[in-house]
Amino acid sequence: MKKQLLILSAAGALLAIQACELPPVETSQLGFRGVGMEHVANPSTLQDSMESVAARIPQLAGSPDTDMVPAPAGTWENVQYLGHLSEAEFNRTMLAMTAWVAQETGQGCNYCHVIEDDGTVNFVSDDIYTKVVSRDMIRMTQDLNANYPEHVGETGVNCWTCHMGEVLPNNYWFYAADGERDLERYYVNEGARQTERYLLDQEAIRVISDQALTGDTENTSSIQDTEYAYWVMIQMSKDLGVNCTYCHTTARFSDWDESPPQRVTALRGVGMVRHANAEYMLPLQGEWPDNRLGPMGDGPKIQCATCHNGAFQPQYGAEASHATEWPAFQILGPPHDGAGTGGDDGSDDDEGEGN
Amino acid sequence: MAEYQNLFTQVQVRHAPDPGVGIPDPENRGELAGFSGLLGRIGDAQIGPIHLGWLGILSLITGGLSIVIMGLVMWSSVGWDPVQFVRQLPWLAVEPPAPEYGLSIPPLNEGGWWILCGALLTTAIGLWWCRMYTRARALGMGTHVAWAFAAAIWLYLVLGFIRPVLMGEWAQAVPFGIFPHLDWTAAFSIRYGNLFYNPFHMLSIAFLYGSALLFAMHAGTILAAAKMGAEREVDQITDRGTAAERSQLFWRWTMGFNATMESIHRWAWWFAVLTVITGGIGIVLTGTAVDNWYLWGQKHGLVPDYPEVWADPAYPVQPGELEGPWQTPPPEGLPGLDTSFRDGGILPGTDIRLTFADVALNAESIR
Repeated sequence: MKKQLLILSAAGALLAIQACELPPVETSQLGFRGVGMEHVANPSTLQDSMESVAARIPQLAGSPDTDMVPAPAGTWENVQYLGHLSEAEFNRTMLAMTAWVAQETGQGCNYCHVIEDDGTVNFVSDDIYTKVVSRDMIRMTQDLNANYPEHVGETGVNCWTCHMGEVLPNNYWFYAADGERDLERYYVNEGARQTERYLLDQEAIRVISDQALTGDTENTSSIQDTEYAYWVMIQMSKDLGVNCTYCHTTARFSDWDESPPQRVTALRGVGMVRHANAEYMLPLQGEWPDNRLGPMGDGPKIQCATCHNGAFQPQYGAEASHATEWPAFQILGPPHDGAGTGGDDGSDDDEGEGN
Repeated sequence: MAEYQNLFTQVQVRHAPDPGVGIPDPENRGELAGFSGLLGRIGDAQIGPIHLGWLGILSLITGGLSIVIMGLVMWSSVGWDPVQFVRQLPWLAVEPPAPEYGLSIPPLNEGGWWILCGALLTTAIGLWWCRMYTRARALGMGTHVAWAFAAAIWLYLVLGFIRPVLMGEWAQAVPFGIFPHLDWTAAFSIRYGNLFYNPFHMLSIAFLYGSALLFAMHAGTILAAAKMGAEREVDQITDRGTAAERSQLFWRWTMGFNATMESIHRWAWWFAVLTVITGGIGIVLTGTAVDNWYLWGQKHGLVPDYPEVWADPAYPVQPGELEGPWQTPPPEGLPGLDTSFRDGGILPGTDIRLTFADVALNAESIR
């Protein structure tokens, strides 16, 4: 009896230890003393995570064309956003995109471009939806780098930042069906909806009053509103692999003066995600084939984790995820002056077409 | 010696079940049942007599009905899937009505079940309180236990009834559910600017921790002096035996002051009761009078002005950039999608109308 108990408790202890991280954990003080502003990190876990990110980075040949002269008119047809590139830089970018996004398919150029019956590649055609989507994603990347330096910084982002060698980036999202939300997501259905809306609209998230007394404030946010806000915040914390103190002073979540500057960066990131979803992801709705749609019939959309993948900085700041080596993504590129457009559809939803 | 240091009751005496002291109305005593060796290890082995009476029976019926309805509402929320019910149980909830219903009675599926469960549970608790009171009286006892229970009921009513009524909406009340009620607590604290700065919350915590401290001190003292007969502590209120003498000298030695065999119980009773009384006052003031306890604390010198230690963001903040409206319930519908689940909807780019089964099936295949 006693022996069995001993074995049982040893097994139980082993199970319990499984749930723990290997020590040591490092704690660093972030803010003023005594206010609980601490950052807790496990250096070995972080090291592993950084190494696994680094191990996936593809080795790409060539270096950026520094004295770039745009390719002469008529070089290509149906090139709408990369008209500022030389031919060499254009080809370098196309090869890189194949490695960044379509590597796992083994299809090479054919993942986006049509191969004719005679074996030649038709680079002009828009018949494969992935080409239409890729074009809009190129535009989106250019847009984020050109217009959101306050979130993507001087480094910017490229396809690898989110795709990491896969056709679908990790952590894209769909509208959840009600039934699915009950089973898989969380118990407050409307909370899921609120998070979804928050990443799409100018949905407000402020719930904490700016005045001490009830009679002095206009704030009528409910407890339910607060739970939605809490949900969005926890989601963001998971997306970035940080805890609350990364952006907030814990005694007073709402106060900007007592918040670390990262909170402002994060707020601007929310604006950027909304912009990317509204201007690029939602307009692509008509392009997706059925197997790319979610349970409510909507196409994939972006959230913080789509780029961040659980890291406070996407890919822990690895240079491979920056736009610095890629002139293609640094500015809102002009259309190439080609003769005609070969596409028969797919451009209908491109708001930026012809820019 | 060793029997005073054991987790379990070492000696169990078996005899005919003890009916207890003589009472004026012996027919109403209840049925004797027998003994349980297992329960005897932690307490007295005798089970019964149990007196239910009509108060107890009604209380069990209403309380049981409330729990069963909660369970059914939770089960229905996972589509009557028994596996998911067990798996998700800690997260399932019976939520109060949405804010827009105010204090009206909403449809059952939109908070009506919460009102029904709450009413039944409150009835059950009220009947149980009456039972505690009348049973104590039947034995000629004081009603201390009933009044301590009433203090807890005060906090329960503040959370689920008094404060929601003062705020004008059932939505302010606590949901039924294991994690949901804890999440409510977190959301409540965040919404009202951090409840730790609510002085009544501070008092409640002080009394709560004080209760635990007193409990440990008293129980430790009695056990330590048990071999001198300290378990007869109540006798020793008037007839101090060597156990009481020793215990009291122990505390005079270590603290310079001691409770009496009687007063320690008064201390403990008031600490326990004040935990919930002060807690209830703190909750009832939140949202009705005070909207942000941190700012209230700053106004009244409770919170120091902390120095600003943070660097400015690399890209300067634009005027108005950090301001925005308060959160309100979201509008109907989903951006980019002309459908909502309840009505079924049109699959975008087609004229196919989705049904519940389509959506559920699609969700299943994606998973």
